[in-house]
Amino acid sequence: MPDTLAHPVRFGSNAGQPVTRRDGIAKVTGTATFTADNSPENLLHAVYVPATIARGRVTHLDVAAAEAHPGVTMVMTPGNRPALQGDPSAKPTMFSFRIEVLQDDSVRYAGQPIALVLGETLEAATEGARLLNPRYAAEPARTRIDDDEAAPVEPGGFGRPAGVEHGDVAAGHAAATKAIDVTYETSAQYHNAMETHAVVAQWEGDKLSLDVPSQALLMSCAGYAYFFGIPAENVTIRAPYLGGGFGSKAIPTGPQVLAILAAKETGRPVKLMLTRQQMFGPVGHRGATRQRLRLGIDDGAALTVIDHEGLAATSSFDDFVEPAANASQGLYAAGALRSAHRAVRLDVGTPGPMRAPGEASGSAALECAMDEMAEAAGIDPLEFRLRNYAETEPGTGKPYSSKALRECYMQGAERFGWSGRPLLPRQMKDENGLLTGWGMGTALFPCPMFAADARATLRSDGSALVETSAIDMGQGAWTALAQIAADSLGLPLDMVEFRAGHSSLPDGGVAGGSGHTATAGGALHAAGGDVIRQLGEIAAADPESPLHGAGNAAFSARDGRLYVDGDDSRSDSFADILARAGSAELVGNGSASRAPEDAEKFSMHSHGAVFAEVKVDPDLCQVRVTRMVGAFAAGRIINPKLAESQLLGGMIWGISFALHEEAKHDPRTGRIVNADFAGYHVPVNADVTGLEVLTVHEDDPYVNALGIKGVGEIGIVGSVGAIANAIWHATGHRIRRFPIRIEDLLTA
Amino acid sequence: MSYLTPKSTEEALALLGQAGADVLAGGTDFFPSRGTRPQTRSILDLGQIDSLRGIEKTARGWRIGAMTTWSQIQRADLPPAFDALKRAAREVGSVQIQNRGTIAGNLCNASPAADGVPPLLALNAEVEIGSPGATRRVALSDFVTGVRRVALSPGELVLAVHVPSLPDDAVSHFLKLGSRRYLVISIAMTAAVLELDGPRIATARVAVGACSPVAQRLPGLEAALVGLTAAEVAALPVVPETHLAPLAPIADVRGSAAYRMRAVADLCRRTVIAAMTGGTTDE
Repeated sequence: MPDTLAHPVRFGSNAGQPVTRRDGIAKVTGTATFTADNSPENLLHAVYVPATIARGRVTHLDVAAAEAHPGVTMVMTPGNRPALQGDPSAKPTMFSFRIEVLQDDSVRYAGQPIALVLGETLEAATEGARLLNPRYAAEPARTRIDDDEAAPVEPGGFGRPAGVEHGDVAAGHAAATKAIDVTYETSAQYHNAMETHAVVAQWEGDKLSLDVPSQALLMSCAGYAYFFGIPAENVTIRAPYLGGGFGSKAIPTGPQVLAILAAKETGRPVKLMLTRQQMFGPVGHRGATRQRLRLGIDDGAALTVIDHEGLAATSSFDDFVEPAANASQGLYAAGALRSAHRAVRLDVGTPGPMRAPGEASGSAALECAMDEMAEAAGIDPLEFRLRNYAETEPGTGKPYSSKALRECYMQGAERFGWSGRPLLPRQMKDENGLLTGWGMGTALFPCPMFAADARATLRSDGSALVETSAIDMGQGAWTALAQIAADSLGLPLDMVEFRAGHSSLPDGGVAGGSGHTATAGGALHAAGGDVIRQLGEIAAADPESPLHGAGNAAFSARDGRLYVDGDDSRSDSFADILARAGSAELVGNGSASRAPEDAEKFSMHSHGAVFAEVKVDPDLCQVRVTRMVGAFAAGRIINPKLAESQLLGGMIWGISFALHEEAKHDPRTGRIVNADFAGYHVPVNADVTGLEVLTVHEDDPYVNALGIKGVGEIGIVGSVGAIANAIWHATGHRIRRFPIRIEDLLTA
Repeated sequence: MSYLTPKSTEEALALLGQAGADVLAGGTDFFPSRGTRPQTRSILDLGQIDSLRGIEKTARGWRIGAMTTWSQIQRADLPPAFDALKRAAREVGSVQIQNRGTIAGNLCNASPAADGVPPLLALNAEVEIGSPGATRRVALSDFVTGVRRVALSPGELVLAVHVPSLPDDAVSHFLKLGSRRYLVISIAMTAAVLELDGPRIATARVAVGACSPVAQRLPGLEAALVGLTAAEVAALPVVPETHLAPLAPIADVRGSAAYRMRAVADLCRRTVIAAMTGGTTDE
């Protein structure tokens, strides 16, 4: 994308500047080391055997053949698996799943590990795994959502969403003068980060050291420790770089636990890296949904009711119910509001959080339903949304901590050229005769904060070291966080050494929920502030400092010097203050989490509006997204370049969701037939043209100290609906199943 | 197993006769198709036989060496009748694949969705097959006999693909339909090679891939096209079912059978028109 947008730069501030990612050179030159790049001495390679049926039992494994293969050192099956100290079905941390670690011979989904082979080489282990040649007693696989099997969800934490009901829903339905009742389906999608899941495990006594890509280092330490009966502090995780995570790398998985167990059993380091095909099973996915939306409006096109029922697929043995219907909770002012969840158990791996969990799937359905309602009302979709604009949080009446959605609508529409859009579908053709359509969607994403700690050390030369176990998944956290840290210390970026990606560092929290920059950044901001505060105290008490006696004044730090606020003639350099005090360094600590009173008082969300143009071949029904404009208000933008990249990435995922991504199950075996990148499609560069991001200014004094709302996920929200609505506008066909296939348009 | 790297065709044929090896050309399908199975048979790598690479004009047409890559075909100086083949060459996997993948490999691999086959069928291509001390020629339509099946006997190697002479003003085009813009296995593809008489079609050869176990020519359609101008082709009603009779598309993850049939009818017409008008429809 062109790097030409004007980035407002605040003089003297690192935050707000479009700094190029600091890990870029290392990554493009191949010197960045990912976890599986570590090959310690005496390494054993682990390869697991994925089940090729989706339901049943393993009746035979040819262990003798595998063991006889040269280089194979161990074959682990349910029959000989060493004991784990923790229960595989327990959930030791906030983000945990029941895991499959050869606890029995049952098969609960295709791709489940049914044996692990260790070898002196990857080739030996691979061949050993092949030679196991499993036989099964298979039962019919259940891989399609079936209404008859659905059950309500018992709310209870991670993966078990609660619904809401505000106002009189029955009255809302009754009051509607126009209503729609539509059902949308979304397909199972599998996170496929460029870097597949991996682990290199080494034991030393009861101390475990892991190279494992993780979106939550300290939490993962606790998670892995649980299974081996050791304290969390005995586990060290290194994860300097992640090749993407998208929600799939926050949670310990069965294959990784098995590799760690193998390392313990053999007394040797063990490496396991999933193949691309193995990514379709034991490491989570976005579960398929079927969502029914009933909307009603009165004569003034005001929504009398939004009634959103989500049905989501989960596994047969664990609960992660895509909270799709929750997407309707915070967006539009409606007289009555209901969101409810049901689940159906299928013979698939347990779904999990995948970029914009809930909102991505829920918004896809909601934004299409809004478009259908606008069509029924006979008014422009943007106008319809503005008429139902929520000035306070629907249902609760809570004020928003900030909400510049109206500005997003206006700026996005202006940039896109929305005005003059024909109300009716199938009105526009381009010069090549392609049907052209414009659609839009609203984006909403919550702004959670986790808890994080950080440490800042000012050195005698005036430079600083800042530390937190923060995670760079490729989104550029190391750069944005370093900018925040440098600002908090009043130092230029190149005077700040940033250390992260190691569990021995202060807990950087979770890189998820779009809350990492806010949370880890908040901790860094506080740590830097702590250093400056101490520095001020030292200087004010030092008779030789120009700042002596200014103890009651506030100080500000700029460019390595401390100034008396409002009096630039009085300043002292960091290095001089430390030198006179005889200090080699000065350490500050900080932490961040959301103030509970703010969380109670305000509804906190990022907002956005996405406009899309599609062109559809009238005969072949081939769909191309030719243009998208996304305008997002996400609080303070620390690094416009990286934030735009995040938002663009989300919008591209919107294209993927709307037109491409779908795991297809063989109805006979339950296996995913397109479990690789040849068959599981995501857009290629040639599919992505004309994308543009606008960030809309927003000051939010309540969301957190830095005013950051987060940009990691919201880009996908709204984009899916915008594309589907544009397809309707081009063709007149409502396709209520994602991804939208060209043949659906032909037969519509 | 052993890894054999002959330097000449003769040596390759001799080794093939002795060892019964698996033949490796560009290797872009060879290795992925093996999955996790070990290679137990010997591999005969043709990569070091220079005489198998390159395109030359002969008295009766063109000879394309078996190991000529798709990238080489794209860059070759060839008349417009080869435009369809060049367009297909751009659609075989990614650029990296095109740099490795070979024309004979594509034919011998015998995928129903092989991008190279429809344009070569429309060019009336023949396959030159060598065995120790002998060569023979087989029409491409007789060479590919089924899904992953070709008329190659043990000990034989494909040495070249021959394209018979065409009038200098013959034109061609190729279209591929996929769900995304690039890097995609075809839902359907069409190739047309036309000889023109002024603004009218004198002879037409139209071939369709990915809609039957083996790519097919459509003789009924070809006959119907003779004598038409581009405008008349554009004005044709839907291509009659009988013209598409050689096709037997399957429904798979890429598209339903009904969609393929309907899409092919339209693709054929577009391909012919684009060939006649120098159209650059890339979809």
